[in-house]
Amino acid sequence: MEQTKQEIKSQGRVPLAADGVMFDIRDLNLYYGDFHALKDISMEILSQKVTAFIGPSGCGKSTLLRCLNRMNDLVENCRIEGNIKLGKKDIYDDKAIDVVHLRTEVGMVFQNPNPFPMSIYDNVVYGLRCQGIKDKALLDHVVETSLKQAALWDEVKDDLAKNGTKLSGGQQQRLCIARAIALQPSVILMDEPTSALDPIATGKIEELMESLKENYTIIIVTHSMNQAARISDNTAFFYLGELIEYNETGKVFSNPDNPRTEAYITGRFG
Amino acid sequence: MSKHEAFQERISKNRGMTAKRRSIDGVRNFFTYLSAALAVFVLGSIFVFVFQRGAKTLSWDLITEDFHTVKYMVNFTEQEAGDFAVPDDLKEGEYFSTKYGFGVMEGTDAAKDTVILLTRKAEDSPLHSGVNAVAGDTKDKPQDVPTHVNVVKIAYKNQEGETKSAGQVRHHTPQEFVETLDQESTGIVSMNYQSLGGGIRGSIRATLMLIGLTLLISLPIGIFAAIYLHEIAPKNGFTNFIRTSIEMLNGVPSIVFGLMGMAIFFPITAAFGATTPNILLGAITMAVVLLPVTIRQTEEALITVPDKLRMGSLSLGATQTQTIFKVVLPNALPGILTSILLSVSRIIGESAALIYTMGTFVVDNPHITGRATTLAVQIWSVMSGEQPNFELATAISILVLIIVLVLNVSIKLITRQLNKKWKE
Repeated sequence: MEQTKQEIKSQGRVPLAADGVMFDIRDLNLYYGDFHALKDISMEILSQKVTAFIGPSGCGKSTLLRCLNRMNDLVENCRIEGNIKLGKKDIYDDKAIDVVHLRTEVGMVFQNPNPFPMSIYDNVVYGLRCQGIKDKALLDHVVETSLKQAALWDEVKDDLAKNGTKLSGGQQQRLCIARAIALQPSVILMDEPTSALDPIATGKIEELMESLKENYTIIIVTHSMNQAARISDNTAFFYLGELIEYNETGKVFSNPDNPRTEAYITGRFG
Repeated sequence: MSKHEAFQERISKNRGMTAKRRSIDGVRNFFTYLSAALAVFVLGSIFVFVFQRGAKTLSWDLITEDFHTVKYMVNFTEQEAGDFAVPDDLKEGEYFSTKYGFGVMEGTDAAKDTVILLTRKAEDSPLHSGVNAVAGDTKDKPQDVPTHVNVVKIAYKNQEGETKSAGQVRHHTPQEFVETLDQESTGIVSMNYQSLGGGIRGSIRATLMLIGLTLLISLPIGIFAAIYLHEIAPKNGFTNFIRTSIEMLNGVPSIVFGLMGMAIFFPITAAFGATTPNILLGAITMAVVLLPVTIRQTEEALITVPDKLRMGSLSLGATQTQTIFKVVLPNALPGILTSILLSVSRIIGESAALIYTMGTFVVDNPHITGRATTLAVQIWSVMSGEQPNFELATAISILVLIIVLVLNVSIKLITRQLNKKWKE
């Protein structure tokens, strides 16, 4: 009995290189009230890689993503068991790392671009100002480097006072990425970052992810199989709150171990 | 014919506008049109009514004048009669004294008595050279006689050197008054005059003071309470209970708040040195009256702030408090502004809660810890006196209506601006 349980647990574990682990997720269970949304998730997310979470709506992939920067704390009746380690620190242990610190370490980009209705400059330095940084030279520097990394600098450098909400959808999303980068995080979580964008803007964001991966660990939730296949190094497939399969992207898409993964990828359900 | 065919026939028959449909529609439409027309008619007639009755009294003087009349007396040092030319622009009913260079006509004072109104002074009229004759610090100091005052009496020397008086005291009409002076006098000795009164300067000042003080108390409390309820408090039954209780306060008649203010809040104002009902007491009471509105409006404003902005802020490592003050509140500002304007128009319109807490005695120089009336209470006050002054009451009503109207239009414009901002 004990052994079968152990087996089930290890199913989700993938024999990937043990070094360079960014997140170590162990026996994670999450409940929304009575609803068991994540079931016994154990996985390691590698640093400097793009990891894609795929699966049909309601499978728990976004929920898991929001566990990684504790945005689920904001949901009423949400209960979490198990633990998640960022490096050596348990992110749900406030003594190891407080939540405000965690979120600067683990940035997030949302499905709908959400720049603040303030200037581009103020958007980018928002997080730093919240930390109490007022040094103009430092802020100027961060604005320039962040916008450059987010491939937005050339488009907005002449008008940094422009309201962030006046940019196009794709530009807004890149501004949100720049805003997250400004805090020098290790990880950037992306929750369907291109689902509200047109194909051209999507292409730009995907290009951007490719270049960002050198410095950051990226975890992306996506509904587009093509996108996952194109940009990710590793792919995790979730179904009904369980981690069904987690492996290198090439393997998952060409020769999945689990028949449900294959059925989903080929579009037979989901 | 099968059942199906019978039904089909009935369906096809009833497609068009039948007489029955038309008549039911007609009755319903009649009531909607009637109600709409009635509402517009009532609103229109209120305006027509107050404008008709009050427009004549409404003037700049009404706004700048004190309510109570003040009596003055001046003596003249240069009393010799001069020779002044009658101005060309003399109005009908206006009489000009060629000996002393001033014009008078008939007017009415606050008590609606007929008075001799000083309308103009020539540049070198002796009226400029009076000295204060009333005992006190300013006795014998130069005092220019202003226009738009009631000339009660002018004492003059006649040809025999006797001192005589002319003016209201001798029941002169303006014409008789000017003729008496110009024909009999050789010089003037002194003049008694008094302000007309009946103005609302004091009430306007008291109203502004009340608005300022009330907002100073109600806004911070209302806004912070709304932030607690919407942003911080757990969404459970207890929070809802608090919210419902606050909303129920809205249904409490304001005169009850007035009684409560008198009983509970008076000691607070007494600590500031108040011995009578006072503006501060009115402001505290009005703040309580306005609290439900302010909280409700601010909460509505907070609801319009999209959640994705809160999420964005928190995901950047901002604390909840930083998120509220840096992102949520600035974006709720237009809505909060609406709540301020609503509060202001409520304060302007309130009378019941203020009668007990601020008194009904019209004061010309209101002080925070003293009695005073707002415009609305002054309406009540001038109408409940021994001689109801209907004209003055309606004139004040016009002002109150105009202010409230302007505020309401501003609310509409701001709300529209707000919606535009979020739809972009």
